[in-house]
Amino acid sequence: MSLRKLSPYLFVAPAVLIFAFTILVPIVMTFAFSFFDWNGYGEMSFTGIDNYTRAFGDKIYLSSYTHILIYIAVTVVVEVLVGLGLAGLITMGRKGSSLFRIALFTPVMLPMIVVSYLWRFVYNSDFGLINTVLRSVGLESWAQVWLGNPDTALLAICVVSGWVYAGFYMTIFYSGISRISKEIYESAFLDGANEWTIFFRIKIPMIRSLVDTAIMLCVLTGFQSFDLFYVMTNGGPYNATEIVPTYLVKVVFSHMSIGYGSALAVILTVVIAVIGLAAGKLKGKGNTLEY
Amino acid sequence: MKKWLAGLVSLTVVVTAAAGCSSDNSTASTGEKVLRIAMGSPGEALIKVWEEIGDEFESQHPGVKVEFTYQDDDTYQTIGLPNLLSGKTPPDLYFEWAGERLQTRIKDGFAADITEQLQQSGLGDMFEEGTFNGMKVDGKTYMVPTAGDVTNVIFYNKQIFDSLNLSVPTTWEQFLEVSETIKNAGITPITVGNLDLWTAGNWVGHIISRVVGEQAYSDALQLEQPFQTDDFVRAYSLVQELWDKGYLNDNINAIADNESDMLFLTGKAAMHPIGSWLVPEAASEAPELELGYFNMPTIAGGKGNQESVIGVLNGMVVNSKSALIDEAIDFMKLYSSDASSAKLSAAGAVPITKTGLDRDNTHPVSVSLTDLMQDAPELVSPPDTGYSIEVANALNMATSQVIGGAKSPEDALKELENTIAPLKK
Repeated sequence: MSLRKLSPYLFVAPAVLIFAFTILVPIVMTFAFSFFDWNGYGEMSFTGIDNYTRAFGDKIYLSSYTHILIYIAVTVVVEVLVGLGLAGLITMGRKGSSLFRIALFTPVMLPMIVVSYLWRFVYNSDFGLINTVLRSVGLESWAQVWLGNPDTALLAICVVSGWVYAGFYMTIFYSGISRISKEIYESAFLDGANEWTIFFRIKIPMIRSLVDTAIMLCVLTGFQSFDLFYVMTNGGPYNATEIVPTYLVKVVFSHMSIGYGSALAVILTVVIAVIGLAAGKLKGKGNTLEY
Repeated sequence: MKKWLAGLVSLTVVVTAAAGCSSDNSTASTGEKVLRIAMGSPGEALIKVWEEIGDEFESQHPGVKVEFTYQDDDTYQTIGLPNLLSGKTPPDLYFEWAGERLQTRIKDGFAADITEQLQQSGLGDMFEEGTFNGMKVDGKTYMVPTAGDVTNVIFYNKQIFDSLNLSVPTTWEQFLEVSETIKNAGITPITVGNLDLWTAGNWVGHIISRVVGEQAYSDALQLEQPFQTDDFVRAYSLVQELWDKGYLNDNINAIADNESDMLFLTGKAAMHPIGSWLVPEAASEAPELELGYFNMPTIAGGKGNQESVIGVLNGMVVNSKSALIDEAIDFMKLYSSDASSAKLSAAGAVPITKTGLDRDNTHPVSVSLTDLMQDAPELVSPPDTGYSIEVANALNMATSQVIGGAKSPEDALKELENTIAPLKK
């Protein structure tokens, strides 16, 4: 082969090599490890699909998917829908709306670890903000061990997630709504529309594609969430907030079962890929309203 | 032509960069021998002592350089040590817990049999026989002890006990009575911070061993006998009673061990089952608190030794692949000397050599706990450091369900059996 023919390959080589070492090789290796019983450094023994059959009988692992789905469903409401509502409110052009815009966006700028510790104090059952307030207004019986009760722990985490990301989605929607030209509102007002109808008939339909993207982002990042769960409950109480990433960390780094952990990771990858593809198909005909 | 050149240059850059990552210097450039020592971080004060001992060793052994690796505790305990051991510059001497963890190292070929060296160097005679508990396999010794922790006794607030005219309970019935009195006085009787499961896991592990017997406890954790037996149900029923009667903090599974420490140290709770490490913390955080402790009260009808102590010994293991085994033993001899022990005591450690403990300048509760451990007729290993971590975690999960009132003893044990079923091969 002449040098001239070789040169394109040499040009792409750096990028391909970096991609191969950082992404391709780990994926292939993880897939390979999933067929072995291995603790990470000792001898590897081939076990066929044992790890996979074990995964499908592992109650904690299966329930961690349920928890993620609940988390995603709730966060779509408390992040995207609340964010949408907030964006509608701050674009009404009332006095002080820019102050609210900054205030609501502030949590996004805090590191997630800080947020997690902060809210652990808020939820603390002895001296936490919530229980203290409830007790001081005479609602003693409503006070809960928020993070220690399997019925409330997952929802408590969802609320924190909403507190952080509602501001984030609000900002995205805000920028979308700001691009809608003023004439449209003016003519709507002349036709007798109020803020309520403007929000539902003009603002939302015109940023429809942004809302779709936000929901997609919310679903996919739901599968990636880790820090909030890890710090606030670490899967507890009684695995009631166990999600796949926290369980993976336990299996791989605490139990040192690299083989089994790899199988769990492979299954997670397949699940996310399927959801991604299905979402792409469903989305297909997203038509944003234009005036 | 120029294109070709540019492509070649960029390729070379990548290749050399990749090669640079792997070409690690495994020997010191001067040719002197390097004694590598690895451990989880013991804290700044103790790191200073380790390095002082290292300097002293270097001056005694010209041509040998001592190199320390300190890792974050959690990292070291999980992936850190295995990584170091299988790396290119493995440690010659490393920290490990006696019991199951040490056995894994022996099985994987990372622990040298040092029976002979201990005898010849006189290092072995510097410790009481009981200090080598869990460090011997088939009569061969694999570890030099450095410290021991009683992982669970019940600490109590003497001021609260005095104000309520309570005396230290010695039986389980008395323990319940004491708890009832404290509860009626509006104080939380017992606080446990079980977010990470090992705290109640340790305490209840001790209760279980007292009820079912040490052998049955150990066999079950090694999967040689089922957990789902009447004896285990009986042990868990005692725990369930504590929750049902409201003797435990209601956020038991929501707070971490350090948060529970604070509840106890600030006087919000009267009793706190935790390990010997609470003593230095109590001395620095709550110096006005009068700290007392008692070992787990005896349980009538229990099959285990009712005077048993739960605890774990740890020490340093010599890597069997090391070329500096004699140097490593010499180092540990220097570490175990009275002069070093004095420095370690001053930095807050509790040395466990025969003559190392400075009884006059160590917190009396610490001294008493050290004696408790050395005089123990039976030393029970905690689930999480004595046995396979997967089985221990499953047991600790069942424990948290019972102690937090989420499941009955029978249901918790049934789920436990399901969880560990795939491990029985």
